[in-house]
Amino acid sequence: MSEKQTVTVTIDGVQYEVPANIPLTRAMRKFLGIDIPTFCAHPRLEPVGACRQCLVEIETPRGPRLTTACTTYTTDGLVVLYNTETARAAREATLEFLLTNHPLDCPICDKGGECPLQDQTLRHGPGESRFLEEKIHKNKRYPISDLIMLDQERCVLCWRCIRYLEEWEFKPQLGLYHRGGETVIDIHPDHPLTAKTSGNIIDICPVGALTNRVARFHFRPWTWGPYPRTLQQVPSICIHCSQGCNLRIDVRTDRVRRIVARENMAVNDWWICDKGRFAQGFFHHPDRLTQPLVRENGELRPASWEEALQRVVEGLHRWAQQDPEAVGAIGSGKVSNEANYLLQKFFRLMVDTNNIDHRWGGDVLADPTGMGAIEDIYRADVIVLLGLDIAEEVPVLATFFRRAVRRNGARAVILHPRRVEDARFGVYLPVWPGGEAIWLNALMARLVREERFRAAARRHAGGQAFLTWLSDYGDLDDLPGVTEETMAHVVRLLADAQSPLVLYGADVVRGRAAEANAAALHNLALLLGEDRVVYVGPDANSLGARDMGVLPAFLPGYVPVTDEAGRERFRRLWGSEVPEEPGLTYTQMLQAAADGQLKALFVMGSDPAADGAWAARALEKLAFLVVQDIFLTDTARRADVVLPATTYAETDGTFTNMERRLQRAPQAFRPIGDARPDWAILVALAQRWPVREAGESRRKPRKGQRAARSPQARWTYTTPQDVLTEIARVVPQYAGLTWDALGTSGRYTAGEGVPRPRGFQQVPPAALPAEPEYPFTLVADRFLYDHGTLIRTTDRFARLLAPPVARMHPEDLARYGLKPGKEAVITSPHGEVTLPLAADPTVQQGTVALAYSLPGAPLETLMGPEGPGVLVNVVQPDAR
Amino acid sequence: MAIKDVYQGTRAIGRALGVTLKHLFEAPVTVESPDREPIAVYPRFRGRHYLRRYENGLERCIGCQLCEAACPTGAIYIEAEENDPDNPVSPGERYARVYEINLLRCIFCGDCEEACPTEAIVLGHGYTLANYTRRDFVLTKEDLLNPPEPNVVIRPEG
Repeated sequence: MSEKQTVTVTIDGVQYEVPANIPLTRAMRKFLGIDIPTFCAHPRLEPVGACRQCLVEIETPRGPRLTTACTTYTTDGLVVLYNTETARAAREATLEFLLTNHPLDCPICDKGGECPLQDQTLRHGPGESRFLEEKIHKNKRYPISDLIMLDQERCVLCWRCIRYLEEWEFKPQLGLYHRGGETVIDIHPDHPLTAKTSGNIIDICPVGALTNRVARFHFRPWTWGPYPRTLQQVPSICIHCSQGCNLRIDVRTDRVRRIVARENMAVNDWWICDKGRFAQGFFHHPDRLTQPLVRENGELRPASWEEALQRVVEGLHRWAQQDPEAVGAIGSGKVSNEANYLLQKFFRLMVDTNNIDHRWGGDVLADPTGMGAIEDIYRADVIVLLGLDIAEEVPVLATFFRRAVRRNGARAVILHPRRVEDARFGVYLPVWPGGEAIWLNALMARLVREERFRAAARRHAGGQAFLTWLSDYGDLDDLPGVTEETMAHVVRLLADAQSPLVLYGADVVRGRAAEANAAALHNLALLLGEDRVVYVGPDANSLGARDMGVLPAFLPGYVPVTDEAGRERFRRLWGSEVPEEPGLTYTQMLQAAADGQLKALFVMGSDPAADGAWAARALEKLAFLVVQDIFLTDTARRADVVLPATTYAETDGTFTNMERRLQRAPQAFRPIGDARPDWAILVALAQRWPVREAGESRRKPRKGQRAARSPQARWTYTTPQDVLTEIARVVPQYAGLTWDALGTSGRYTAGEGVPRPRGFQQVPPAALPAEPEYPFTLVADRFLYDHGTLIRTTDRFARLLAPPVARMHPEDLARYGLKPGKEAVITSPHGEVTLPLAADPTVQQGTVALAYSLPGAPLETLMGPEGPGVLVNVVQPDAR
Repeated sequence: MAIKDVYQGTRAIGRALGVTLKHLFEAPVTVESPDREPIAVYPRFRGRHYLRRYENGLERCIGCQLCEAACPTGAIYIEAEENDPDNPVSPGERYARVYEINLLRCIFCGDCEEACPTEAIVLGHGYTLANYTRRDFVLTKEDLLNPPEPNVVIRPEG
């Protein structure tokens, strides 16, 4: 729809210039400020003309005719009569008809106060009711899923919910039933809504027909304003996935009441997913940590902050004096940039170690280049999803993806070990975990037969050698389930594509095949274009934690710790020496702990014990463990000191999303109990750290250098904004970004200096392992509703959580004589778990699919430290 | 000074004392509160608040918070909750889980009564409101739910 051209329309005798070919309602509301009443018209939905509320008179050769403005598009010379007696009477009558059967239960309706029907009745309605008859009764308090309640009496049949599910979700799960005055919106019998972004229909419902079952009755939209106990509307962001959707947290009496979507066309359009909207149980859960705990005689007991902080400083300092390499720190992709930045600064300067990482950090060999812009997905003509279950991992991006395919004609290729839901939008190819590089090399070997890609290859270092090397990798024998025809089809798609887009998930570049896969993705990026191959991290701040240098080999801004000039810059900025040997990654730290080499570990906002039995055993061996978290996690239970942190909504913070956009999440309510924000705890620790005496330093200052000032002198932050100011000075990508400059819609960080593909790499992929002892490959699945603490703390999710089962293809079950529904023992070289089996035809033959974060971490236990691509065996004791 | 003045002065003192003496033998106008019988108040007197019930025992209050919004001093605090359909507190879907009125803030204007769509909150005739601790000035739902005359609209004219 081109909005560049303008046309002249006449409304009530006045001529206006408006964009051409847009609905008249939009032109009047958005561009002319005329308050035309509408119900069915929505800026992000196709016009349908269902409610008849926007009737205007349009001049035709046969005289003025009543027409719905929402289905009339602006054309040159359009003559509209808006404020005439006929048109006004028609609109008044429509409102009167809508109200004939609308119940007057506004006092108990959650929409009351922000209800278009209320507002427009006051502004455009007849002012009095003429109906005395009994209203038609329909279903009230009628759940259409565990999360959404429908009140059919309040519905004005605008079809917004129906259209949202059809036009964005491509899941027509709501429909109209019956005729005339009896017409109702309803789910299809026994099929509750399952769309992952279904909650958006609550936001766009123009009446209170659809309400949020989690937040139901806990807020009143009209109690906003600067008065005591009113609803504070805090513009914030979502921290559940890397898209960083904008949302608004409504808070009253320091409690989160509800979460609604906030418009940001560049990030999330008008939408958020159901996890972001409904997962609000964790904010005020009774299990939240509210005071520090210290271990005494083997038991954790409450302690004062002073005592706990002193214990932490003493414990860390003791090990830092003995051997800084025996101390490690684990940050988190779930906490803010500020907290992550201070964590790595504390451990690099005070403890003098580079053992700093986060889950999905140094072990994931991804290029954090980020997507050029999330909107790029609409401009792409071929979209490849590699190991990314987009509907479960980034549900709002999934709606964009589906729209790109269905509306913009983009072609999709879905590569995943399991036939994921969105496989229906394109070509599906099974790819074994750990075998991605084999597929990518086979693809590239075929792609470079096109002259265009040969030329692209020659433009980069090592291109010619790479072409020769690649010619050995065209074989499809190692790729079960991939035929020459489908491969040729995919090659054709990519060869013809002008702007292809490859999105890959964290599991592709982690574990045994990480190096080969990362190299293959590198090479593919050089062939297709640097910004066309994009890593989609699993956490809200996956990129931010990397940018902040919560990595064992990089200082903030991706300065390698081995780079002398870079270290010198940080020495000047921070006023202290920076250790130069790269540290251990997350997995290596846990393994070092298991081996007894790592003695002290500081864990912030992470739960390594949930990485399976091997990780839990490793933690047991630590001499000193500090956990800073909001819940008493399995890791915290093993800790020597537990520091109660706050959620992201209790302090200011910034997060960097998948398109490298820095967004702020301001404080929405005061910290509960004695909990303190992550950044404040780290500042308190730094201020208590013993001052290093002159000459005591492990490293002597080099000749010509001034003796460094005591690093504590620089820990004068009083707000997170102070930390952000320092980040903007220290991290080149964040230069010039201040809290105020970010505004409510965020700003892009610069992409310069971020590791990106440089020259072709030749890493031969390992063949897929095969062992007769372990006939199945383990497939790791991500579910939107996993059993993590942020999700299971909301009771309404109880029935939606990922089922704790091992899923297998029905034919595999039959072939091996396994019975679904019965428990089976699953073994891998790393461990053994017992889980019920379930038949699932989306799982490929020869694989067993388990979800991440199930209770007891069965998947992680089987995977061990090895990562994806582990072989397993399944035995059902009673079935044999 | 003449004899006349002495006479007039004595007479004036006598009359004044006569008034005093007369009232010595009359019943007092003041009432000893709270030990004696409560005094009658005018029908539209606005005193301590009550929450009313329907005849079937269900609470009238639906937790809509309109009184809270209408209150000019912010004396009312309400937390609404969803009714359990099998064991409802009030008719319909919504009830007030918490209903508190801070009498130290209340100015007894009656706006809450006016705002109430179900005539649940009413200002009664109670005026003995003194208490020992600040906390006791906050009427909770239990304090409010037992009106002396349960189902009487106290001021039907509103």
